[in-house]
Amino acid sequence: MSDHKPEKKIKPPQSVGWMAEYTDENQLLDACRQVRDSGYTRTDAYSPFPVHGIEDALGIKPTGLPWFSLCAGATGTCVALLMQWWMNAVDYPYIISGKPYASWPAFIPVTFELTVLFAAFTTVFAMLGLNGLPKLSNPLFNNPKFDRSTDDRFFLWVDSNDKYFNSEKVKGLLESTSPVEVSEVKEDDSPTEIPRGIIWAIILLIMVSLIPAVIVLDMRNSRSRGSRIQVFFDMDYQPNHKVQGSTSWFADHRVQRPPVSGTVARGELYASDPYYLGYDPDATASNERESHFVSLQADDANSAGQVNDPNSAEAAAPELNYAWLTQIPGTVDGKMYDLGKKKFDINCSVCHGVVGNGEGLVSQRAMNLAEGYWLQPTNLAESRIVEQPVGRIYYTITHGKGKMGGYAASLTPQERWAVVLYVRALQRSQNAKSSDIPENVTLSSTAAQ
Amino acid sequence: MSSISLSSDETPQELSRSRQDTSDPPSQWEQQAYDPRERAALVLGEHDFTTVTDSIADIALGKTPTMWYVAMSVSLSLLSLLVVTIGYLLLTGVGVWGNNNTVSWGFPIINFVFWVGIGHAGTLISAILFLLRQNWRTGINRFAEAMTIFAVCCAGIFPGLHVGRVWLAYWLLPYPNELAMWPQARSPLLWDVFAVGTYATVSLLFWYMGMVPDLATLRDRATKRWQQLLYGVLALGWNGSSRHWMRFEKAYLLLAALATPLVLSVHSVVSFDFATSQLPGWHTTIFPPYFVAGAVFGGFAMVLTLSIPCREWFGLKHLITHRHIENMAKVMLATGMIVSYAYSVEFFMAWYSQQPYEQFVFLNRPFGPYAWAFWTMVTCNVIAPQAIWFTAVRKNVWAIFIVAMFVNVGMWFERFVIVVTSLHRDFLPSSWAMFAPTWVDLGMFLGSFGLFFTLFLLFCRFLPMVAIAEVKTVMPQAHADDHPVKFDYQPSPDTPKELRRGHWFT
Repeated sequence: MSDHKPEKKIKPPQSVGWMAEYTDENQLLDACRQVRDSGYTRTDAYSPFPVHGIEDALGIKPTGLPWFSLCAGATGTCVALLMQWWMNAVDYPYIISGKPYASWPAFIPVTFELTVLFAAFTTVFAMLGLNGLPKLSNPLFNNPKFDRSTDDRFFLWVDSNDKYFNSEKVKGLLESTSPVEVSEVKEDDSPTEIPRGIIWAIILLIMVSLIPAVIVLDMRNSRSRGSRIQVFFDMDYQPNHKVQGSTSWFADHRVQRPPVSGTVARGELYASDPYYLGYDPDATASNERESHFVSLQADDANSAGQVNDPNSAEAAAPELNYAWLTQIPGTVDGKMYDLGKKKFDINCSVCHGVVGNGEGLVSQRAMNLAEGYWLQPTNLAESRIVEQPVGRIYYTITHGKGKMGGYAASLTPQERWAVVLYVRALQRSQNAKSSDIPENVTLSSTAAQ
Repeated sequence: MSSISLSSDETPQELSRSRQDTSDPPSQWEQQAYDPRERAALVLGEHDFTTVTDSIADIALGKTPTMWYVAMSVSLSLLSLLVVTIGYLLLTGVGVWGNNNTVSWGFPIINFVFWVGIGHAGTLISAILFLLRQNWRTGINRFAEAMTIFAVCCAGIFPGLHVGRVWLAYWLLPYPNELAMWPQARSPLLWDVFAVGTYATVSLLFWYMGMVPDLATLRDRATKRWQQLLYGVLALGWNGSSRHWMRFEKAYLLLAALATPLVLSVHSVVSFDFATSQLPGWHTTIFPPYFVAGAVFGGFAMVLTLSIPCREWFGLKHLITHRHIENMAKVMLATGMIVSYAYSVEFFMAWYSQQPYEQFVFLNRPFGPYAWAFWTMVTCNVIAPQAIWFTAVRKNVWAIFIVAMFVNVGMWFERFVIVVTSLHRDFLPSSWAMFAPTWVDLGMFLGSFGLFFTLFLLFCRFLPMVAIAEVKTVMPQAHADDHPVKFDYQPSPDTPKELRRGHWFT
């Protein structure tokens, strides 16, 4: 570089063309047509705003810019579709909201956005690239009057590299187009070397910017006994305690927190209501706890073990020591009886029989097939059941007994109490005495019906 | 038209460069009878290319007005409020917001949607009105595009902070990582990242590209060395070559064609964040068009809010004329009517669906605990814009300004109503909750205005506020009647055939 410097200083700036200045765009358009018809091709016009028709007047070919946009847009579409397919269908597939892995309709928004993004980026940068911008040095800028090309004046330029360029002829032609002024454009002889200070500043900047990278590389390749540098803790260090411990965080110093007042744990909503339990939990709690557990274990042992002789097992099982309800809670009426009959017929009669005698259709068939595992369902009219308080029957329906499963999931508490009422009715009908028959009804009249 | 003289033969020295004749031209209403059949002049007063350049370039290159310092200090103090509240949030955690388990979206999302919506007017003016050949856009497009970009800057802050751990916000982007995980392209939240990101990028490109010729004007008129350097680098060496202009115009057209569907897509995608959920009040098919109309509505209100004072203070009444303001007010009225229609359709659908949850939400809005927010929204967005129907209101720009302020408030409350009233009463009454903003919420909301106005004031001071080159193309001097531009121009018959270049239309 340095050996060219003196040479450049000696050489006078050479002419690179002629430039004419006009005050309005119509003069410019006329001048352009004349210059074009004279055969010059290395020409250009400069205006503060786009002058329409100048492409024709000067003979400028249309730009191929739209093709760049089209290709970039198509690339954006493909990249977006491929990216989303790769991300969600190939490399990291997982099901979400029941959509397929490659969920093309859901990929459309991102596809559209990337199409626009790619096309817009390319349009702008292709425009600048085709225009040869950024270009911060230009021989035209040597003429201070050219500054008005971005304000209110119009310029026409003929390049000295043109095939037909002849300095005198071009000057004459431009002068004949009634310009304000015709001037020769000299090449830009301002120094092209970057000042040393700037070069050193850039080098220094590059060196400084490498320091963090060097430190990171060094740290990745060396061992350290120190703890890691944490800019953000990311909940890595949280205060915590073991169970049953004590703490100073809370006024009561307890680590384990009591339930928030007014809340009910899951499954405990009805834990203290006799209506839902069939027994009074408070009174039960005052009964001996030991016997409660023993009886429960015995109950489980019965259902699991001695399957062949249910009656003896039932008999052997110690009765639960609960404070059973002895009266059906709520209003007992015909409506409740009807509900109980309906629910009994649906849920109970297939095994216990429609009259509750343990001769349901399923049971009959099982007994006929002599299936070894089958236990005859309890006859609900037998005295053992009749003697049971209503709460005990409700409890059996709720939790099941022996081979029978619980019906808490199928029957609401109200329906269960209704079934209890119906069972009581069946017991009475099965153990009916002649005194139960109302006086105005006789057996013969019932048969006649 | 006839009042504008062609003064291109005069030299600039002969022309008065003083502001006196530019700052206070007669009102458009006095200058010409209001007749919709007549095309209104887009540049008022005795102006030619030189004075148009002067009036805009002098703002950027001249002395800083005292009021600018006052406005800037107010904006900077609001901006510092934003910085302080964000710093406090980062150091403490998102618990300092008023958001709770039920109303998990709160202020951050309300403000995000509010700012993104405002950002729609700029691209609408620069792209859609360009494609529709609405030449009046040239006076306001630069302005509105700048507003778009600054509004999107403000919008971007909020979802970024709302992710909780801001320093991991880059997880939103698809990049190969050591977790072997990819973003979920079937979620509207990822669509949002791409939509808002693309919108911000394309708006910035559009704005900068359109500004390059004007930056060159500033470069050529700058007298101070630092101005010449700054504008020289930013102008990229633009010299107004006709070849450059041709490609520039083509690129502008292409960008407008690309940005038109983009501007419609962005707020549609933002509305998908709501509409693809199953929450009553959000799960609505009308959301995309409703949001887009609302965004344009709110965006034009913000353009009016900014342009009415600016044209007064910076002496731009001859470029941003009364007719410009009136046109924007009419767009605001039209989109406001669409928004009002959308509100009523939501209520109709709630009734027609016979869906108890949907019906509950739409009874809860006007009569529930946030009824005050709903009725504020209705007052500001449905009732207030109706004033634009009256000529008396349109004749007075400050009356339009007041209506625009109502709409700004109303559009913020619209987002409040959508986010908070839908969330605070969900399917499970046990999780019902109320939302109340904390001082951090309010500080960040006010602070975002500080960021917006700081950027906007910097723009007003240092960049060409009006598209200088574009305004010149719509001046009558650029289309002199005695010498119309001929696209079917024929060369003289004695031109040799090989020289008959450029007749692409014949």
